[in-house]
Amino acid sequence: MNDRITRDMSPAEILAALRRAEGYFLCNNERDVSQSDFKNRLMPMTTVRVAPYRDAAGFFSVEVSGGASIHLDLMRKQVNPFERLRIARKHMPRTLLQTVCRGANLFGYRHYPENVIRLVVREFAKYVDVWRVYDFLNHVPNMAVVFEEVKRAGRLLMPSVCFSTGREHTDEYYVGKVGEILEVTGPDVIISIKNYAGLGTPKRVGQLFEAISRAFPDIILHYHGCNTDGNDIGRMTAAVLAGAKICDVADHGYGAIYGQAPALTLIQTLRDYDKKAEGISIQALLQSSDILRRERKIYEAFESPFRGHDPTVTHYKLTGGAVVSAFEQADRGGFLERMPEILEELARVQVELGNWWSVTPGSQILWTTAVSNVLNGRYERPSLDLQNLILGRYGPLPFYEPEDWICEKVLEYQRRDGKKWHKIIYDEGGQIKPHEPDLEHERRRLQEDLGRAVSDEDLALFLQFPFDTLSYLKFEGKYGKTWLLPPEIWFRQGGFAPGERLKFADERGVPHYIDILSTRREGANVHTTMSVDHNIQTISIQVEG
Amino acid sequence: MSPKLKIDKILVANRGEIAVRIMRSAQELGLKVVGIYEETDKEAYHIMRADEVVCVGPGPRRDYLSIDRIIEVAKQTGAQAIHPGYGFLSENPDFPEACTNEGLVFVGPPPEVIRNMGSKVIARRLAMESGIPVIPASAVLSPGSQGDQEALAFAAEHGYPLMIKAVSGGGGRGIRQVEDDKMLLAGLQQSRSEALLCFGNDEIYLEKCIFRPRHIEVQILADTFGNVVHLGTRNCSIQRRHQKLIEIAPGGLRPALEQEICQAAVRLAQTARYLSAGTVEFLVGADDSIYFLEVNTRIQVEHTVTEVVTGIDIIREQLRIAEGEPISFSQDQVAERGFAIQVRINAEDPKNNFLANPGVLQVYQSPGGPGVRLDGAIYQGYEITPYYDSLLVKLTVYGFTWAEAVQRLARSLRGFLILGVKTTIPYFQQIVRDPDFIAMNFDTSYIDDHPQLLDYQETEREVDKIARLIAEINAFGKNPYA
Repeated sequence: MNDRITRDMSPAEILAALRRAEGYFLCNNERDVSQSDFKNRLMPMTTVRVAPYRDAAGFFSVEVSGGASIHLDLMRKQVNPFERLRIARKHMPRTLLQTVCRGANLFGYRHYPENVIRLVVREFAKYVDVWRVYDFLNHVPNMAVVFEEVKRAGRLLMPSVCFSTGREHTDEYYVGKVGEILEVTGPDVIISIKNYAGLGTPKRVGQLFEAISRAFPDIILHYHGCNTDGNDIGRMTAAVLAGAKICDVADHGYGAIYGQAPALTLIQTLRDYDKKAEGISIQALLQSSDILRRERKIYEAFESPFRGHDPTVTHYKLTGGAVVSAFEQADRGGFLERMPEILEELARVQVELGNWWSVTPGSQILWTTAVSNVLNGRYERPSLDLQNLILGRYGPLPFYEPEDWICEKVLEYQRRDGKKWHKIIYDEGGQIKPHEPDLEHERRRLQEDLGRAVSDEDLALFLQFPFDTLSYLKFEGKYGKTWLLPPEIWFRQGGFAPGERLKFADERGVPHYIDILSTRREGANVHTTMSVDHNIQTISIQVEG
Repeated sequence: MSPKLKIDKILVANRGEIAVRIMRSAQELGLKVVGIYEETDKEAYHIMRADEVVCVGPGPRRDYLSIDRIIEVAKQTGAQAIHPGYGFLSENPDFPEACTNEGLVFVGPPPEVIRNMGSKVIARRLAMESGIPVIPASAVLSPGSQGDQEALAFAAEHGYPLMIKAVSGGGGRGIRQVEDDKMLLAGLQQSRSEALLCFGNDEIYLEKCIFRPRHIEVQILADTFGNVVHLGTRNCSIQRRHQKLIEIAPGGLRPALEQEICQAAVRLAQTARYLSAGTVEFLVGADDSIYFLEVNTRIQVEHTVTEVVTGIDIIREQLRIAEGEPISFSQDQVAERGFAIQVRINAEDPKNNFLANPGVLQVYQSPGGPGVRLDGAIYQGYEITPYYDSLLVKLTVYGFTWAEAVQRLARSLRGFLILGVKTTIPYFQQIVRDPDFIAMNFDTSYIDDHPQLLDYQETEREVDKIARLIAEINAFGKNPYA
């Protein structure tokens, strides 16, 4: 093989190898695929099953962490996000692990205090090699503390510039933004263009990469896109031909999704242009997808009922994952038939509110505003988050402020002091530095709740998601490492049949067998008799009352 | 000397592990065994081990204490002898008396011996007659304020701390330590009430408290031919609130002291005209001074460690003695080899003040291999009820050296798999890791001096935790946490 990048290389060696390479590299974005298409439910054992082939495939990196995945690990997968990283590291020893971090929002939905940011980054940086960092307003100061901590940890920094389309989204703006970032980080970084919704034509994306490459010829560029409209292969092709060195892709075993486009399709396309996928083993790619095709069936219940590509995303500009959840939310809320209207309204509020980037947490603000506008009247019931946005709590809006009538409706909503919107902005506007908690006090608080010592990792999770971390840690105490269970058992519907044998191995590789012997319903209780490693036990669960 | 009587059938007037233990030896001797049970104990394991069983009543506890009913069952089933085990009726002199009156052999000392030894005052007098030092003690205190004055006078003469003891007490019950006059006067009243409640006798006395003593006891056997032998010593210093937790044989005394204490026990047994198996208990001070404590006129829970280091089956000898046979060996044939440690694995929660933790034994797996002896009466699926004691199984390990015995104990404790109830196992696991225990450096204040032994995390097998989740997925038809 090959000129692959491996984990035993230092960040400087990696950057040198990227600069030297004539071809391009691929990042497998399992995290985004899981978030965009499987409600973040891809379980660690699926990662483990495919890991040997992924590790052999020669990816620049595999993004296994970050975004909403941390919170969902705690809420719906009951796996410690750090544990998940340790699992990935163990089973993919050669491959760089990547995360995506929302700047000052870390892996959550609000700006965290500086001491929390530093602790969280420091803890995650013990496992994460590559840090993709963005801010939904492209406000560089919102990312600066994370930049600092990643560099301090000796990890590879990938500052991201969110990309969208429209009058304001010019090459000049983006080149300027890259320059602004480089002034903070220095040149030893990888600049990522975060095309969160897969916007723009291949031609537009090619122009953008050309403009940035022209302005910063030594800078390594990464393209992160989405295949919502089915055309990300075109955009990636254009980006690579214009100088991009790394692209985010998916396994074709997950084919036809809103997340990333298939690696193999890109490789085959770029071959015509004499562009080589550096370090990649086609055989390992094929083997990975052979496994994932089988695994995908397990997650069928979590795939969107609205499958297939959607070229109209260029209009409403939602990320892949948000499209799926938007339709589901509409279905659950009983306003599915009004979705065309809502998506139209979404496009309109994006423009009205400043035409910035519809990505977390901005995407949630835009979505709830659009839904509320359609259901309750335009800006009649604005959310607190929208008020905060207009007040500048998240940072300055990049292009323009909403019109006065919108500011009036939003800021004066339920205001009891009679203060006018311009006075509110004058008196209360701007970013407020969040209060820094006493970390040792927080640790003691968690310790008291758990009745055990609390590690820095536990604390890093608790400071971001107090309630869900506590629930998870209690779950872990009670049920242990349930990620060891195959996902087909974890997600089992309808219970288990008598005579069924559940097999799994523990972390030491010791096999365990749980044989279901009988299920007996008695009033509000269900009694399951099992042979657990050849010891018979009956466990009674109260299911009613 | 009594005439010989061949016993063919014996009734075991007890339950649980000691009933099983007695049945084993009896059956080895070719005896048929009658077991008894209360209705509330009908799932007990000892019932399954008997050759014949009879329900003695609805229970709980009271029918195991019914002398009339048990004798009736013995006669009805044709049993010629009754073994009382420990607890229940074992130290009630009315029981052997009733047996004798009904022509049944009581496997144990005669009633007058039990009566004498059961009285702390008489026992002390007998000890003194045998030339054994006793702990300075008062006479039985007079009732009321006169008793208070007698107590204060004793305290003035001997100083504090003192122990208030019930004349009829035993097994650690009815004992209270007091540090000053105020505690003494308050304690007298409480001890009288407790003694009356527990033993039906409110007589109490005072005893000088020995500082940080070791609890050493001597196992004796006496037959109807006047032979008395000792089987060496046991160290039962590790106690919690005067209840033994760990017992060790031999007692770990220097040889001359071991000899001295054993000889003293034999002398006392001879003076008391003792019969059958018994235990003479002593306190040994830090300066190796010895004091007589009491005599237990029954087989004891911890007899196992003596059996392990001597190779002598004490129950078998009891049965032979009851048949009018002489002890089957002589004193010079007795040798202690290596070390034995017994721990009482109880269904208790050490972190919750050792509160009994009744429940169903979902899973029970025990250790085995070299040097491991188990005396239990439990099985997977057995329900530990709140009606009886919480002893699940006694684990006795043997090692050629103390270090080997401790390592084997640690290994054996790890070998248990018990689900469904909390047990004392994690507490013992702390003890076997404790440097003082490993160095054999302990006295009766060990538990109080080592509160950190309770600082453990309860561990559960990962597979069992996951099994709980599997049961939930099965019960709800989906994973409620996914």
